[in-house]
Amino acid sequence: MKPFGYVAARDAQHAIALLAEHGAAAKILAGGTDLLVELKDTQRPPGIIVDISRAQDLKDIVLSDEGLRIGTLATHSEIMRSAVIRDLCPALIEAAHSIGAVQTRNLGTIGGNLITCVPSMDSGPALIALEALVTVASAKGQRQMPLASLFVGPRKTSLKPGELLIDIVIPKLNLGKPAAFQKFGLRKGQALALVNAAAAFWVDGKGAFAASRIALGAVAPTVMRAPKAEAYLEGRKVTDEAMAEAGRIAATEAKPISDFRASADYRRDLIAVLVQRALANAHARVKTKTKELVP
Amino acid sequence: MTDVTMIVNGQTRSASVPPETTLLQLLRDNFNLTGAKLGCDVGDCGACTVIVDGMAVNSCLMLAGQVNGRSVTTIEGLATRERLHPIQKAFEDNGALQCGFCGPGAIMASKALLDENSDPDVREIRDALSGSLCRCTGYTKMIEAVQEAARVLRSEERNQITHART
Repeated sequence: MKPFGYVAARDAQHAIALLAEHGAAAKILAGGTDLLVELKDTQRPPGIIVDISRAQDLKDIVLSDEGLRIGTLATHSEIMRSAVIRDLCPALIEAAHSIGAVQTRNLGTIGGNLITCVPSMDSGPALIALEALVTVASAKGQRQMPLASLFVGPRKTSLKPGELLIDIVIPKLNLGKPAAFQKFGLRKGQALALVNAAAAFWVDGKGAFAASRIALGAVAPTVMRAPKAEAYLEGRKVTDEAMAEAGRIAATEAKPISDFRASADYRRDLIAVLVQRALANAHARVKTKTKELVP
Repeated sequence: MTDVTMIVNGQTRSASVPPETTLLQLLRDNFNLTGAKLGCDVGDCGACTVIVDGMAVNSCLMLAGQVNGRSVTTIEGLATRERLHPIQKAFEDNGALQCGFCGPGAIMASKALLDENSDPDVREIRDALSGSLCRCTGYTKMIEAVQEAARVLRSEERNQITHART
Protein backbone atom coordinates (compact mmCIF):
# COMPACT_ATOMS: atom_id res chain seq x y z
CA MET A 1 0.00 0.00 0.00
CA LYS A 2 1.11 3.55 -0.70
CA PRO A 3 1.78 5.49 2.54
CA PHE A 4 -1.03 7.32 4.35
CA GLY A 5 -1.57 8.84 7.80
CA TYR A 6 -3.54 7.05 10.50
CA VAL A 7 -5.49 8.21 13.51
CA ALA A 8 -7.89 6.20 15.68
CA ALA A 9 -11.07 7.81 17.01
CA ARG A 10 -12.05 7.05 20.62
CA ASP A 11 -15.79 7.58 20.11
CA ALA A 12 -18.34 9.15 17.78
CA GLN A 13 -17.64 12.72 19.01
CA HIS A 14 -13.92 12.29 18.48
CA ALA A 15 -14.51 10.78 15.03
CA ILE A 16 -16.63 13.76 13.97
CA ALA A 17 -13.98 16.18 15.29
CA LEU A 18 -11.24 14.34 13.39
CA LEU A 19 -13.30 14.40 10.18
CA ALA A 20 -13.90 18.15 10.59
CA GLU A 21 -10.19 18.70 11.18
CA HIS A 22 -9.01 16.73 8.15
CA GLY A 23 -11.84 17.48 5.70
CA ALA A 24 -11.53 15.95 2.25
CA ALA A 25 -8.11 14.44 3.07
CA ALA A 26 -9.74 11.98 5.48
CA LYS A 27 -11.10 8.56 4.63
CA ILE A 28 -13.10 6.63 7.22
CA LEU A 29 -12.04 3.12 8.21
CA ALA A 30 -14.90 1.09 9.74
CA GLY A 31 -14.61 -2.66 9.08
CA GLY A 32 -11.98 -2.19 6.38
CA THR A 33 -13.12 -5.11 4.24
CA ASP A 34 -13.74 -2.81 1.26
CA LEU A 35 -11.42 0.06 2.19
CA LEU A 36 -8.25 -2.01 2.53
CA VAL A 37 -8.80 -3.60 -0.86
CA GLU A 38 -9.23 -0.10 -2.29
CA LEU A 39 -6.09 1.20 -0.53
CA LYS A 40 -4.03 -1.71 -1.86
CA ASP A 41 -5.21 -0.90 -5.36
CA THR A 42 -4.85 2.86 -5.48
CA GLN A 43 -1.90 4.96 -6.60
CA ARG A 44 -3.36 8.00 -4.83
CA PRO A 45 -4.14 7.08 -1.22
CA PRO A 46 -6.03 9.47 1.07
CA GLY A 47 -4.02 11.82 3.30
CA ILE A 48 -5.22 10.22 6.50
CA ILE A 49 -7.26 7.22 7.58
CA VAL A 50 -9.65 8.00 10.43
CA ASP A 51 -10.12 4.63 12.12
CA ILE A 52 -13.55 4.63 13.78
CA SER A 53 -13.56 0.88 14.45
CA ARG A 54 -13.04 1.38 18.21
CA ALA A 55 -15.93 3.79 18.73
CA GLN A 56 -18.09 1.53 20.91
CA ASP A 57 -20.95 4.06 20.90
CA LEU A 58 -21.42 3.46 17.17
CA LYS A 59 -21.96 -0.28 17.63
CA ASP A 60 -25.18 -0.48 19.65
CA ILE A 61 -28.31 -2.22 18.43
CA VAL A 62 -31.18 -0.80 20.51
CA LEU A 63 -34.94 -0.43 20.50
CA SER A 64 -36.13 3.12 21.07
CA ASP A 65 -39.32 5.17 20.62
CA GLU A 66 -38.21 5.79 17.07
CA GLY A 67 -37.81 2.13 16.23
CA LEU A 68 -34.83 -0.17 15.96
CA ARG A 69 -31.55 1.73 15.89
CA ILE A 70 -28.55 -0.12 14.46
CA GLY A 71 -25.21 1.58 15.03
CA THR A 72 -23.21 2.08 11.87
CA LEU A 73 -20.39 -0.13 13.21
CA ALA A 74 -22.56 -3.16 13.97
CA THR A 75 -20.85 -5.97 12.08
CA HIS A 76 -22.76 -8.43 9.94
CA SER A 77 -21.96 -11.11 12.55
CA GLU A 78 -23.33 -8.94 15.35
CA ILE A 79 -26.52 -8.39 13.35
CA MET A 80 -26.84 -12.16 12.85
CA ARG A 81 -26.50 -12.72 16.61
CA SER A 82 -28.89 -9.95 17.67
CA ALA A 83 -31.95 -11.41 19.41
CA VAL A 84 -34.00 -8.26 18.85
CA ILE A 85 -33.25 -8.25 15.10
CA ARG A 86 -34.04 -11.99 14.89
CA ASP A 87 -37.35 -11.25 16.54
CA LEU A 88 -38.40 -8.08 14.71
CA CYS A 89 -36.49 -7.92 11.41
CA PRO A 90 -35.30 -11.42 10.46
CA ALA A 91 -34.85 -10.32 6.82
CA LEU A 92 -31.84 -8.30 7.99
CA ILE A 93 -30.30 -11.48 9.35
CA GLU A 94 -30.81 -13.25 6.03
CA ALA A 95 -29.09 -10.34 4.31
CA ALA A 96 -26.20 -10.20 6.80
CA HIS A 97 -25.66 -13.97 6.56
CA SER A 98 -25.43 -13.80 2.76
CA ILE A 99 -22.43 -11.45 2.85
CA GLY A 100 -18.93 -12.81 2.11
CA ALA A 101 -17.87 -15.43 4.63
CA VAL A 102 -17.39 -15.55 8.42
CA GLN A 103 -14.11 -13.64 8.28
CA THR A 104 -15.64 -10.77 6.30
CA ARG A 105 -18.82 -10.75 8.40
CA ASN A 106 -16.76 -10.45 11.58
CA LEU A 107 -15.08 -7.27 10.33
CA GLY A 108 -17.50 -5.75 7.81
CA THR A 109 -20.07 -3.30 9.17
CA ILE A 110 -23.59 -2.46 8.07
CA GLY A 111 -22.66 1.22 7.72
CA GLY A 112 -19.61 0.37 5.64
CA ASN A 113 -21.67 -1.86 3.36
CA LEU A 114 -24.08 1.03 2.71
CA ILE A 115 -21.38 3.69 2.30
CA THR A 116 -19.29 1.65 -0.14
CA CYS A 117 -22.50 1.78 -2.15
CA VAL A 118 -21.90 -0.92 -4.72
CA PRO A 119 -25.10 -1.84 -6.59
CA SER A 120 -24.90 -5.45 -5.37
CA MET A 121 -24.66 -4.58 -1.64
CA ASP A 122 -26.58 -7.15 0.37
CA SER A 123 -27.51 -4.82 3.26
CA GLY A 124 -29.48 -2.47 1.04
CA PRO A 125 -32.63 -4.22 -0.23
CA ALA A 126 -34.04 -5.43 3.10
CA LEU A 127 -33.40 -2.03 4.71
CA ILE A 128 -35.03 -0.23 1.77
CA ALA A 129 -38.02 -2.60 1.89
CA LEU A 130 -38.39 -1.76 5.59
CA GLU A 131 -38.08 1.98 4.79
CA ALA A 132 -35.02 2.51 6.94
CA LEU A 133 -33.79 5.97 7.83
CA VAL A 134 -30.15 6.93 8.30
CA THR A 135 -28.65 9.48 10.65
CA VAL A 136 -25.70 11.49 9.42
CA ALA A 137 -23.59 13.63 11.74
CA SER A 138 -20.93 16.27 11.22
CA ALA A 139 -19.41 19.09 13.27
CA LYS A 140 -22.44 21.18 12.16
CA GLY A 141 -25.02 18.80 13.63
CA GLN A 142 -27.14 15.81 12.71
CA ARG A 143 -29.68 15.08 10.01
CA GLN A 144 -31.86 12.09 9.30
CA MET A 145 -33.01 11.01 5.85
CA PRO A 146 -34.45 7.97 4.09
CA LEU A 147 -31.74 5.44 3.30
CA ALA A 148 -32.67 5.65 -0.40
CA SER A 149 -31.46 9.26 -0.55
CA LEU A 150 -28.01 8.18 0.65
CA PHE A 151 -27.52 6.24 -2.59
CA VAL A 152 -26.45 8.36 -5.57
CA GLY A 153 -24.74 5.89 -7.92
CA PRO A 154 -22.25 3.05 -7.97
CA ARG A 155 -19.73 3.79 -5.18
CA LYS A 156 -21.25 7.25 -4.75
CA THR A 157 -23.29 8.49 -1.77
CA SER A 158 -24.78 11.85 -0.86
CA LEU A 159 -22.41 12.21 2.14
CA LYS A 160 -20.19 15.29 2.10
CA PRO A 161 -16.64 15.48 3.46
CA GLY A 162 -16.78 15.70 7.24
CA GLU A 163 -20.03 13.73 7.45
CA LEU A 164 -20.31 10.39 9.20
CA LEU A 165 -23.15 7.87 8.94
CA ILE A 166 -23.88 7.10 12.58
CA ASP A 167 -26.91 4.84 12.58
CA ILE A 168 -29.66 3.15 10.63
CA VAL A 169 -33.22 3.20 12.02
CA ILE A 170 -36.04 0.83 11.12
CA PRO A 171 -39.15 2.89 11.90
CA LYS A 172 -41.29 1.55 14.72
CA LEU A 173 -44.26 1.06 12.35
CA ASN A 174 -42.26 -1.47 10.34
CA LEU A 175 -40.93 -3.56 13.23
CA GLY A 176 -42.36 -7.04 12.88
CA LYS A 177 -43.56 -6.35 9.34
CA PRO A 178 -43.30 -9.66 7.48
CA ALA A 179 -40.28 -9.39 5.21
CA ALA A 180 -37.69 -11.60 3.56
CA PHE A 181 -34.44 -11.32 1.63
CA GLN A 182 -33.21 -13.40 -1.28
CA LYS A 183 -29.83 -13.49 -2.99
CA PHE A 184 -28.52 -15.37 -5.95
CA GLY A 185 -24.75 -15.56 -6.39
CA LEU A 186 -22.59 -18.07 -8.24
CA ARG A 187 -21.74 -19.77 -4.92
CA LYS A 188 -23.18 -19.60 -1.42
CA GLY A 189 -20.08 -18.11 0.16
CA GLN A 190 -17.78 -15.32 -1.01
CA ALA A 191 -19.89 -14.36 -3.99
CA LEU A 192 -21.41 -11.06 -5.02
CA ALA A 193 -25.11 -11.06 -5.79
CA LEU A 194 -26.05 -11.44 -9.43
CA VAL A 195 -29.39 -10.21 -8.14
CA ASN A 196 -30.71 -9.72 -4.64
CA ALA A 197 -34.20 -8.77 -3.56
CA ALA A 198 -36.29 -8.07 -0.51
CA ALA A 199 -40.01 -7.85 0.03
CA ALA A 200 -42.13 -6.65 2.92
CA PHE A 201 -45.90 -6.39 3.28
CA TRP A 202 -48.75 -6.56 5.73
CA VAL A 203 -51.79 -8.73 5.17
CA ASP A 204 -54.96 -6.74 5.81
CA GLY A 205 -58.22 -7.98 7.33
CA LYS A 206 -59.45 -9.20 3.93
CA GLY A 207 -56.34 -11.27 3.27
CA ALA A 208 -54.94 -8.74 0.81
CA PHE A 209 -51.49 -7.18 0.39
CA ALA A 210 -51.06 -3.87 2.18
CA ALA A 211 -48.12 -1.45 2.21
CA SER A 212 -46.14 -3.78 -0.06
CA ARG A 213 -42.49 -2.89 -0.57
CA ILE A 214 -40.13 -4.56 -3.02
CA ALA A 215 -36.44 -3.65 -3.33
CA LEU A 216 -33.88 -4.97 -5.80
CA GLY A 217 -30.08 -4.95 -5.85
CA ALA A 218 -27.43 -5.43 -8.56
CA VAL A 219 -29.89 -4.56 -11.33
CA ALA A 220 -29.58 -0.75 -11.44
CA PRO A 221 -26.91 1.85 -10.52
CA THR A 222 -28.17 1.74 -6.91
CA VAL A 223 -30.55 -0.42 -4.89
CA MET A 224 -34.01 0.33 -6.30
CA ARG A 225 -37.65 -0.08 -5.38
CA ALA A 226 -40.08 -1.74 -7.81
CA PRO A 227 -43.07 0.66 -7.58
CA LYS A 228 -45.14 -0.95 -10.36
CA ALA A 229 -44.92 -4.38 -8.74
CA GLU A 230 -45.75 -2.83 -5.36
CA ALA A 231 -48.79 -1.05 -6.84
CA TYR A 232 -49.96 -4.26 -8.52
CA LEU A 233 -49.99 -6.05 -5.16
CA GLU A 234 -51.73 -3.31 -3.19
CA GLY A 235 -55.20 -4.48 -2.15
CA ARG A 236 -54.89 -7.72 -4.14
CA LYS A 237 -55.64 -11.01 -2.39
CA VAL A 238 -52.48 -12.81 -1.26
CA THR A 239 -52.02 -15.73 -3.67
CA ASP A 240 -49.09 -17.56 -5.25
CA GLU A 241 -50.18 -16.22 -8.64
CA ALA A 242 -50.13 -12.62 -7.43
CA MET A 243 -46.61 -13.12 -6.05
CA ALA A 244 -45.38 -14.61 -9.32
CA GLU A 245 -46.96 -11.77 -11.33
CA ALA A 246 -45.35 -9.17 -9.03
CA GLY A 247 -42.00 -10.83 -9.76
CA ARG A 248 -42.61 -10.61 -13.50
CA ILE A 249 -43.58 -6.93 -13.21
CA ALA A 250 -40.52 -6.15 -11.06
CA ALA A 251 -38.33 -7.72 -13.77
CA THR A 252 -39.62 -5.13 -16.27
CA GLU A 253 -38.78 -2.24 -13.94
CA ALA A 254 -35.09 -2.98 -13.42
CA LYS A 255 -32.25 -1.87 -15.65
CA PRO A 256 -29.72 -4.67 -15.30
CA ILE A 257 -26.45 -4.67 -17.21
CA SER A 258 -24.62 -7.55 -18.83
CA ASP A 259 -21.17 -8.19 -17.42
CA PHE A 260 -18.80 -11.11 -16.87
CA ARG A 261 -20.97 -12.40 -14.02
CA ALA A 262 -24.31 -12.57 -15.82
CA SER A 263 -26.25 -11.23 -18.78
CA ALA A 264 -29.01 -8.65 -18.38
CA ASP A 265 -31.58 -11.22 -19.56
CA TYR A 266 -30.47 -13.74 -16.98
CA ARG A 267 -30.64 -11.09 -14.28
CA ARG A 268 -34.21 -10.19 -15.35
CA ASP A 269 -35.19 -13.85 -15.09
CA LEU A 270 -33.63 -13.97 -11.65
CA ILE A 271 -35.55 -10.90 -10.48
CA ALA A 272 -38.87 -12.58 -11.26
CA VAL A 273 -37.88 -15.68 -9.31
CA LEU A 274 -36.27 -13.94 -6.34
CA VAL A 275 -39.10 -11.44 -5.87
CA GLN A 276 -41.64 -14.27 -5.90
CA ARG A 277 -39.56 -16.22 -3.34
CA ALA A 278 -39.05 -13.17 -1.13
CA LEU A 279 -42.80 -12.53 -1.14
CA ALA A 280 -43.53 -16.19 -0.37
CA ASN A 281 -41.00 -16.29 2.48
CA ALA A 282 -42.35 -13.03 3.90
CA HIS A 283 -45.82 -14.56 3.73
CA ALA A 284 -44.63 -17.63 5.63
CA ARG A 285 -43.65 -15.23 8.41
CA VAL A 286 -47.23 -13.90 8.49
CA LYS A 287 -48.51 -17.44 8.95
CA THR A 288 -46.02 -18.21 11.71
CA LYS A 289 -47.07 -15.10 13.56
CA THR A 290 -50.75 -16.01 13.32
CA LYS A 291 -50.07 -19.59 14.41
CA GLU A 292 -48.21 -18.34 17.46
CA LEU A 293 -51.16 -16.17 18.41
CA VAL A 294 -53.67 -19.06 18.29
CA PRO A 295 -53.26 -21.02 21.52
CA MET B 1 4.86 5.33 12.35
CA THR B 2 2.14 3.61 14.38
CA ASP B 3 3.05 2.03 17.70
CA VAL B 4 1.22 -1.17 18.43
CA THR B 5 1.17 -3.49 21.42
CA MET B 6 -0.91 -6.62 21.42
CA ILE B 7 -1.09 -10.08 22.90
CA VAL B 8 -0.02 -12.64 20.33
CA ASN B 9 -0.45 -16.30 21.30
CA GLY B 10 -0.43 -15.30 24.97
CA GLN B 11 2.66 -13.09 24.81
CA THR B 12 2.76 -9.30 24.75
CA ARG B 13 4.38 -8.08 21.54
CA SER B 14 5.11 -4.52 20.44
CA ALA B 15 6.25 -2.92 17.21
CA SER B 16 6.49 0.41 15.50
CA VAL B 17 5.32 0.12 11.90
CA PRO B 18 4.18 2.39 9.04
CA PRO B 19 0.38 2.99 9.22
CA GLU B 20 -0.21 1.09 5.99
CA THR B 21 1.10 -2.17 7.52
CA THR B 22 -1.51 -4.92 7.63
CA LEU B 23 -1.88 -7.27 10.58
CA LEU B 24 -0.69 -10.06 8.28
CA GLN B 25 2.52 -8.16 7.43
CA LEU B 26 3.06 -7.36 11.10
CA LEU B 27 2.72 -11.02 12.09
CA ARG B 28 4.92 -12.34 9.30
CA ASP B 29 7.56 -9.64 8.91
CA ASN B 30 7.85 -8.17 12.42
CA PHE B 31 6.92 -11.08 14.67
CA ASN B 32 8.26 -13.80 12.37
CA LEU B 33 5.02 -15.76 12.60
CA THR B 34 4.78 -17.06 9.05
CA GLY B 35 1.97 -19.58 9.58
CA ALA B 36 -0.71 -17.20 8.32
CA LYS B 37 -0.26 -17.02 4.56
CA LEU B 38 -0.55 -14.25 2.01
CA GLY B 39 -2.88 -15.59 -0.66
CA CYS B 40 -5.25 -13.27 -2.50
CA ASP B 41 -4.59 -10.23 -0.26
CA VAL B 42 -8.20 -9.04 -0.73
CA GLY B 43 -10.13 -11.12 1.79
CA ASP B 44 -11.38 -13.86 -0.52
CA CYS B 45 -9.14 -16.88 0.12
CA GLY B 46 -8.85 -17.03 3.91
CA ALA B 47 -5.20 -18.23 3.92
CA CYS B 48 -4.36 -15.33 6.27
CA THR B 49 -7.09 -16.16 8.80
CA VAL B 50 -6.19 -15.54 12.45
CA ILE B 51 -8.34 -15.09 15.54
CA VAL B 52 -8.65 -11.57 16.99
CA ASP B 53 -10.53 -11.29 20.29
CA GLY B 54 -12.23 -14.62 19.62
CA MET B 55 -13.24 -13.90 16.02
CA ALA B 56 -11.85 -15.36 12.81
CA VAL B 57 -10.70 -12.49 10.60
CA ASN B 58 -8.70 -12.01 7.44
CA SER B 59 -5.45 -10.51 8.73
CA CYS B 60 -4.77 -9.05 5.26
CA LEU B 61 -7.82 -6.79 5.73
CA MET B 62 -6.83 -5.25 9.07
CA LEU B 63 -4.33 -2.51 9.65
CA ALA B 64 -1.85 -3.28 12.42
CA GLY B 65 -3.07 -0.13 14.21
CA GLN B 66 -6.60 -1.54 14.44
CA VAL B 67 -5.31 -4.46 16.50
CA ASN B 68 -3.47 -2.31 19.05
CA GLY B 69 -4.42 -3.53 22.53
CA ARG B 70 -6.21 -6.64 21.29
CA SER B 71 -5.49 -10.34 21.50
CA VAL B 72 -4.41 -12.38 18.48
CA THR B 73 -4.13 -16.15 18.10
CA THR B 74 -2.30 -17.58 15.11
CA ILE B 75 -1.71 -21.17 14.03
CA GLU B 76 1.59 -21.04 15.97
CA GLY B 77 -0.45 -20.64 19.17
CA LEU B 78 -2.21 -24.02 18.88
CA ALA B 79 0.31 -26.85 19.27
CA THR B 80 2.38 -27.31 22.41
CA ARG B 81 5.76 -29.00 22.65
CA GLU B 82 3.96 -32.16 23.74
CA ARG B 83 1.22 -32.41 21.17
CA LEU B 84 -0.67 -31.01 18.23
CA HIS B 85 -3.92 -29.23 18.96
CA PRO B 86 -6.86 -31.66 18.51
CA ILE B 87 -7.97 -29.74 15.39
CA GLN B 88 -4.50 -30.06 13.85
CA LYS B 89 -4.42 -33.74 14.80
CA ALA B 90 -7.83 -34.35 13.24
CA PHE B 91 -6.81 -32.55 10.03
CA GLU B 92 -3.71 -34.75 9.88
CA ASP B 93 -5.50 -38.02 10.69
CA ASN B 94 -8.26 -37.37 8.18
CA GLY B 95 -6.02 -36.28 5.32
CA ALA B 96 -7.86 -32.96 5.34
CA LEU B 97 -4.96 -31.10 3.76
CA GLN B 98 -2.95 -31.82 0.65
CA CYS B 99 -0.73 -28.91 -0.39
CA GLY B 100 -1.51 -27.30 2.96
CA PHE B 101 -1.39 -23.66 1.91
CA CYS B 102 -4.95 -23.01 3.10
CA GLY B 103 -4.36 -25.12 6.23
CA PRO B 104 -3.40 -22.50 8.83
CA GLY B 105 -6.38 -20.37 7.79
CA ALA B 106 -8.83 -23.28 7.58
CA ILE B 107 -7.70 -24.58 10.98
CA MET B 108 -8.04 -21.15 12.60
CA ALA B 109 -11.49 -20.72 11.04
CA SER B 110 -12.40 -24.16 12.44
CA LYS B 111 -11.05 -23.20 15.87
CA ALA B 112 -13.13 -20.01 15.95
CA LEU B 113 -16.19 -22.13 15.10
CA LEU B 114 -15.50 -24.80 17.75
CA ASP B 115 -14.70 -22.20 20.43
CA GLU B 116 -18.21 -20.86 19.95
CA ASN B 117 -20.09 -24.01 19.03
CA SER B 118 -18.84 -27.31 20.46
CA ASP B 119 -21.17 -29.46 18.36
CA PRO B 120 -21.68 -27.87 14.93
CA ASP B 121 -23.69 -29.63 12.23
CA VAL B 122 -22.38 -30.00 8.67
CA ARG B 123 -24.21 -26.89 7.53
CA GLU B 124 -22.55 -24.82 10.24
CA ILE B 125 -19.13 -26.28 9.43
CA ARG B 126 -19.57 -25.51 5.73
CA ASP B 127 -20.57 -21.96 6.64
CA ALA B 128 -17.49 -21.55 8.85
CA LEU B 129 -15.19 -22.92 6.13
CA SER B 130 -16.74 -20.98 3.26
CA GLY B 131 -14.13 -18.24 3.66
CA SER B 132 -11.23 -20.69 3.34
CA LEU B 133 -10.66 -21.56 -0.29
CA CYS B 134 -9.06 -24.98 -0.82
CA ARG B 135 -8.25 -26.26 -4.29
CA CYS B 136 -7.01 -29.70 -3.20
CA THR B 137 -9.40 -31.46 -0.88
CA GLY B 138 -12.92 -30.74 -2.04
CA TYR B 139 -13.67 -29.95 1.62
CA THR B 140 -15.24 -33.33 2.51
CA LYS B 141 -12.21 -34.50 4.51
CA MET B 142 -11.99 -31.09 6.16
CA ILE B 143 -15.59 -31.26 7.29
CA GLU B 144 -14.98 -34.77 8.67
CA ALA B 145 -11.87 -33.50 10.46
CA VAL B 146 -13.78 -30.67 12.11
CA GLN B 147 -16.46 -33.13 13.23
CA GLU B 148 -13.80 -35.43 14.71
CA ALA B 149 -12.01 -32.52 16.39
CA ALA B 150 -15.33 -31.44 17.88
CA ARG B 151 -15.84 -34.94 19.34
CA VAL B 152 -12.31 -35.00 20.79
CA LEU B 153 -12.62 -31.51 22.27
CA ARG B 154 -15.99 -32.34 23.83
CA SER B 155 -14.64 -35.51 25.44
CA GLU B 156 -11.56 -33.62 26.72
CA GLU B 157 -13.91 -31.05 28.21
CA ARG B 158 -15.96 -33.79 29.89
CA ASN B 159 -12.79 -35.39 31.30
CA GLN B 160 -11.64 -32.07 32.69
CA ILE B 161 -14.97 -31.58 34.42
CA THR B 162 -14.78 -35.09 35.89
CA HIS B 163 -11.20 -34.41 37.05
CA ALA B 164 -12.26 -31.18 38.67
CA ARG B 165 -14.98 -33.00 40.60
CA THR B 166 -12.77 -35.83 41.87
